Amino acid sequence: MKRGKNPLYWLMIIVAFTLGTTQCAPPATPSPEAQITPPATATTAPSPTEIVAPATGEVPTVAATLEVSQQVITQVVEESEAAKAREPKKGITVVSDEEVTSPRTKRGGEYKDVATSDAVSLHPYLTTDTASSSYQGMVYTGGLLRLDENTLQYIPNMAESYSISEDGLTFTFRLRKGMLWSDGQPITARDFEWTYQQVTNPANEFPYLSQLEFIKSYKALDDYTLEIKIEKVYCPSLGQMSGLITPLPKHVWEKLPWNDPEKNPEMNKPSVVSGPYKLVEWKRDQYAIFEANENYWYHGAPNISRYVIEIVPDQDVAYQKMKTGETDTGPITPDKLKEARQLPNITVYEWWPAAALWSYVGLNMRPGFPTHDLHVRRGLAYAIDKDLLTEQVMQGQAKRLCSVYPETSWVYNPDVPCYDYNPEKAIEEFKQAGYSFQDGKMLDQNGKQLRLKLVFGPNTSKTRELIAVTLQDYWRRIGVEANIQAMEWSTFLEALHSKEPDWDVYIGAWQATIEPHIMYTIWAEENIPELNSVAYINKEVEKLFEEAGANCDFEFRKQKYQQIQKIIAEDAPYIFLFYNKSWSGQNKRIKGIIPTALGIGWNMEDWYIEEAPTP
Amino acid sequence: MRQGLARYIIRRGLQSLFLVWIATLIGFTIYQLAPGGPLQFLDDDPKRTAADFNRLSALYGLDRPILVQYLVWLTGEDWLVLLPGGTAWQSGQCRNNAERCGRGILRFDFGRSFYFKGSNVIDLIVERIPATFILGFSSLVISVAVGIPSGIYAALNRGRLPDHIIRVTTVLVNTVPEWWIGLLLLIILGGYLRIVPLGGMETIGDGSLPDRLHHLALPAVVSAISGWISISRIMRFEMLEVLNQDYVRTARAKGLPEHLVILRHVLRNAILPFVTGLSGIFLLFLSGSILFELVFSWPGMGRLAVIAINSRDYPVMMGLFVISSFLGIMGVLMVDILYSFVDPRVKYEL
Repeated sequence: MKRGKNPLYWLMIIVAFTLGTTQCAPPATPSPEAQITPPATATTAPSPTEIVAPATGEVPTVAATLEVSQQVITQVVEESEAAKAREPKKGITVVSDEEVTSPRTKRGGEYKDVATSDAVSLHPYLTTDTASSSYQGMVYTGGLLRLDENTLQYIPNMAESYSISEDGLTFTFRLRKGMLWSDGQPITARDFEWTYQQVTNPANEFPYLSQLEFIKSYKALDDYTLEIKIEKVYCPSLGQMSGLITPLPKHVWEKLPWNDPEKNPEMNKPSVVSGPYKLVEWKRDQYAIFEANENYWYHGAPNISRYVIEIVPDQDVAYQKMKTGETDTGPITPDKLKEARQLPNITVYEWWPAAALWSYVGLNMRPGFPTHDLHVRRGLAYAIDKDLLTEQVMQGQAKRLCSVYPETSWVYNPDVPCYDYNPEKAIEEFKQAGYSFQDGKMLDQNGKQLRLKLVFGPNTSKTRELIAVTLQDYWRRIGVEANIQAMEWSTFLEALHSKEPDWDVYIGAWQATIEPHIMYTIWAEENIPELNSVAYINKEVEKLFEEAGANCDFEFRKQKYQQIQKIIAEDAPYIFLFYNKSWSGQNKRIKGIIPTALGIGWNMEDWYIEEAPTP
Repeated sequence: MRQGLARYIIRRGLQSLFLVWIATLIGFTIYQLAPGGPLQFLDDDPKRTAADFNRLSALYGLDRPILVQYLVWLTGEDWLVLLPGGTAWQSGQCRNNAERCGRGILRFDFGRSFYFKGSNVIDLIVERIPATFILGFSSLVISVAVGIPSGIYAALNRGRLPDHIIRVTTVLVNTVPEWWIGLLLLIILGGYLRIVPLGGMETIGDGSLPDRLHHLALPAVVSAISGWISISRIMRFEMLEVLNQDYVRTARAKGLPEHLVILRHVLRNAILPFVTGLSGIFLLFLSGSILFELVFSWPGMGRLAVIAINSRDYPVMMGLFVISSFLGIMGVLMVDILYSFVDPRVKYEL
């Protein structure tokens, strides 16, 4: 045979076939969204959200994140009782009479969970994704205080009591005695103190360090007393200081490097834990198996003895698994909700979460952009039928939102301009901005039609795509052309956070926080262009936020946040769209699930399994 | 000749290394040009400020110029202390703790992952090699087992019905993306008929051989499709080529039965390149399984690559890039060398 026909020739062909057909194609995968960790909220996440972390103040407990999927018909929580929440008063002492030692009685069985993205690390102070925090919440659980599932007030948790000094600057926590690590060692204030010291070391990569900056000192006075001092009165401080730190076992971790997985096996295979479960085995991208921790400090071992999380990359596959009973839960996308409610083996639990995800249209307020003009922004807002959009895009699984805080927040102000659909008013606003409406076109002073560049991401989000085309359609009716550009997630974020953005309008979402003050960052001038991407500058709003953060009187704060809502709604930096309901599908054999504004995961240790009688 | 071969191997080896280096340069530049970065995901949360972002950026050394980052990736950062002012080019982690200084790919240190919070890249990759290997090997076996006979059959029946059927089928199947076929089969066979599992490598807590084979069956068959199509085409082409040779006509003329002509003279010559190329082809199979791993929840390198690309985890991307270019180039090299053993007419000259 001829030399010219050497094997390279075939190799080239085979390479061309195998590589050509496989490697070039990744962007076309059926569900890249499932692989993007950041946007995936723990709840059903109809659309990815920019914000993933649990509401400030809550340690990423299983409660906050377990809602890998969704929930109950028996009890739809229509309204949180958040409005009843009270701020901590100065010079008070709060003592818990809650008894935490009586053991649970309905023990046994295995819960089969499914997730579309795997955890990154079990180290509780390095990660930012929800998958990781749900794993971490299994093994390291509990802050000094926790949110009450009904009142949404902070109540004693690992601390049995706390007191606040007269000046409001010193907080003293007394820990419960008898709390144990899984190896039988006591959990003490020393563990808290050591953990705090590590977390706040700037070399230690804690991504939320700025949230702890208000703390001046954090000291263990003895094994069961912690004293925390702050610089100046800061109202969210109680929740922040007691919720962000969950202790790590000092006696185990002390000898190990804090953040080197090569030398610290505890980072990804914790041997001594405080949470309801111990890790048995974790195979990355495949599964994780947990078993009950008999020494769990809160009423002992959880009812369900084993907890298995299986990783599948695709939401549809995960849903199929729930449907076939292979798993006890699974993600339900909004379009599957109707079907899921009819499944014979599944109960869908539904609730309006206190930390709701809300969607909005961001309007670029920088000079030089058409949306710099207040009347243009209002005009664009009036031109959209937001009720219809909510109904069509979210199929009844969302409610209208008119300003910064959803109805579930205790500072919610119903009395703000809402820009209800009114095309005439829209055109009127544009006229005030110097535009003229002729032959179905909105013309500026130079007689050119107004064209807007609308960006959204990730391009795999059906919800956002639907919002984008709806906006385009409504705006076209008042003669405004929108050019839609869908972007891959990172590209979208980069466009959003660019110092000199080239977009006029984008579609975004925030996860509301239970503590209203946290949302200050997205309206502060200093956070342009990262968090404040629309470049909203209003010194009055900043002043109101500062005041509300420094005076902890309940009514005073509420009034300030209500003023803020009104001003921001009037300034219209966003077109506020809607906030989402949450839901979770659970196999009917799982009992004891009670949805509240915190979701369903808050009492996960009390869930139990009731096998259906075999026919 | 042996000596010539040794020199040839050395020369080709050096060429290959040079190729890999050029590939890394291109790869690194492309990855860096992609919008976003490993910390991009961090900066969209009202609980994190620009200060948090900048602090982490300096710790990880992401604030350095791209060229510096490339040099550090290549040669490590521990030696930078020897340069005057060189510590300014070290990452914050390296300055804080000498143990966290990278040693560079030249000293076989693939670096640490951003996304997986400091895990060694090489560990992450090695952890996933067996899965990719199993899938790649099985699909290779299937594509050869199906591709060669169908190629031979088509060639022997050239221009007749079986040939047309095989050709039309291959063209048709080839026009449809295999991952789509995979997804469709998964939904039908796994979702509705429930005769195959919905992805994964094993049932959690089972992991016996029959269970693993059960999980392997569909992914292996689907990812073998493109392989058997090309193998079958090449086999057909090669057979036809040999069938026209003079020695085949001679063999027929001297009255040898047709099946002996095919077996002894045609097949032996036509199949030669496959036998020699198999090991190389296998390596190439390894580097081409990203989509199947995604569709079938297969925990291999391909899924790692997708995670790394989506999260802009440069060290992991580069690690996979180096390993797959290395595998690919080694595959080609191996084919060349093995070929000389099988076909004595091939001589390697400098």
